[in-house]
Amino acid sequence: MWQAAALDPRTKLFLVLIFSSLAVFIKNVYILLLLLFITLLTVKVIGGDITSIFRKLQRLITVFVAIIVIQSIFTAEGQVILQLVKIKLLTDVGLLRGVQTVLRFFIVIAAAAIMTTANPRDIIQGLIQWKIPYELAFMVTIAIRFLPLLQEEAKDTLTALQLRGVNLKKIPLFKRLKTYSYLLMPLLVSVLMKSRDLSVAMEMRAFRAFPHRTSLRELHFCQADYLVMAVGMVLFLLLLMISVKIN
Amino acid sequence: MTLPIVVKDLSFQYENDAIYILRHLNLSVAKGEIVAIVGLSGIGKSTLCYCLSGIIPHVYGGMMEGEVLLNGKSTRDLTLPEIATNLGIVFQNPDHQLFSFTVEDEIAFGPENLCVPRDEIARRIDEVLEKVGMKEFRYANPQQLSGGQRQLIALAAVLSLQPEILIFDEAMSQIDADGREKIKEMMLNLRADGKTIVIIEHDWENLQIADRVLVLKGGKLEPFTGSLS
Repeated sequence: MWQAAALDPRTKLFLVLIFSSLAVFIKNVYILLLLLFITLLTVKVIGGDITSIFRKLQRLITVFVAIIVIQSIFTAEGQVILQLVKIKLLTDVGLLRGVQTVLRFFIVIAAAAIMTTANPRDIIQGLIQWKIPYELAFMVTIAIRFLPLLQEEAKDTLTALQLRGVNLKKIPLFKRLKTYSYLLMPLLVSVLMKSRDLSVAMEMRAFRAFPHRTSLRELHFCQADYLVMAVGMVLFLLLLMISVKIN
Repeated sequence: MTLPIVVKDLSFQYENDAIYILRHLNLSVAKGEIVAIVGLSGIGKSTLCYCLSGIIPHVYGGMMEGEVLLNGKSTRDLTLPEIATNLGIVFQNPDHQLFSFTVEDEIAFGPENLCVPRDEIARRIDEVLEKVGMKEFRYANPQQLSGGQRQLIALAAVLSLQPEILIFDEAMSQIDADGREKIKEMMLNLRADGKTIVIIEHDWENLQIADRVLVLKGGKLEPFTGSLS
């Protein structure tokens, strides 16, 4: 049986590009809503975790509200819905633009969830097979691989600060920012030392010995990949045409 | 006969450092020999290790005098990839050497860089995993293994380049007793395969497997004349 999760990572990357590009090009809220629905459906079919997308969005609610208000303040057109003295806090056009922006965010975050179904190593291999220089692809690998370790190290340094009697919750904002600089320095030194050691270890294993390298893995497109990409392309053109016509 | 490692009158001084950390140092290591180098912390053991492996002068700068010959060729004239096929180095911290998502990818990294064909890479992965006794961890994430296991994977990754010389730079310092025993057992097996091994250590308990123990003191190597037991 065909498994959507087994799609080539390049196909998934292609879908992400299509959905994200459409989110930028389309202005109509209804078409954006339709695109959002299609994106979420694709995530579901590919085997992505939709609840995690909503969890991420939950954390961004205040940002979204702020975006809507800021859009309204800077949009002079439209009927005023909410006004404070002479400042238009909410206008219908501003609200519409705010909703557009929020939907775009939503679509991009949902589209990115498609990539979580792909193995990071396969993503890198896909990039290499797309002729992206392997030095750049390795930078991505190392970033993905070391980011959680960096987070852990930051937490450890923060705990060390707290063990010395620094209670971050009780410190005023300005002082707290200054305290974070104490966190930054050991973290920076540790990262620099780690990257130096890692680069030496990589060089001692013949990294960049030749302009090209062989690869243990090789990705191959299957029929399902071609089909999904074709459907994606048709969808892209269709939604773009409808959007242009409506505007 | 050409010896795998010959160090002739080696002196080294780091940039912005007033003193030479290595002074007129000489060393010869025969094929199939395990030589251990011990010394106090900060005495220059790792610097010597970097000189032996070509990291100095190719990566780290400083004033290097004298010569390090690997199989008769000066490290100055060899490129790092050329050195990598002659000499493999296992560092102290496995976390600073492993970066791939699976053990298989980690081991494949070196041969891939040397443009080894795919079939041969797969064969080497099988071979080295068998050698270090980690075959069942082929598809595991190195970060989820114990310290000792990770160090064995770091060793396997180096062995996949098929070097004749191996350097262990305090490779047993951050692992538990079980891990240390496994690494020592591996070193003895590698010696039996004819590999030349240099161990940089500060823990005397790890030196029983060495054929020769040298002490780094005042920038020079002296034979160890005491007892290890």
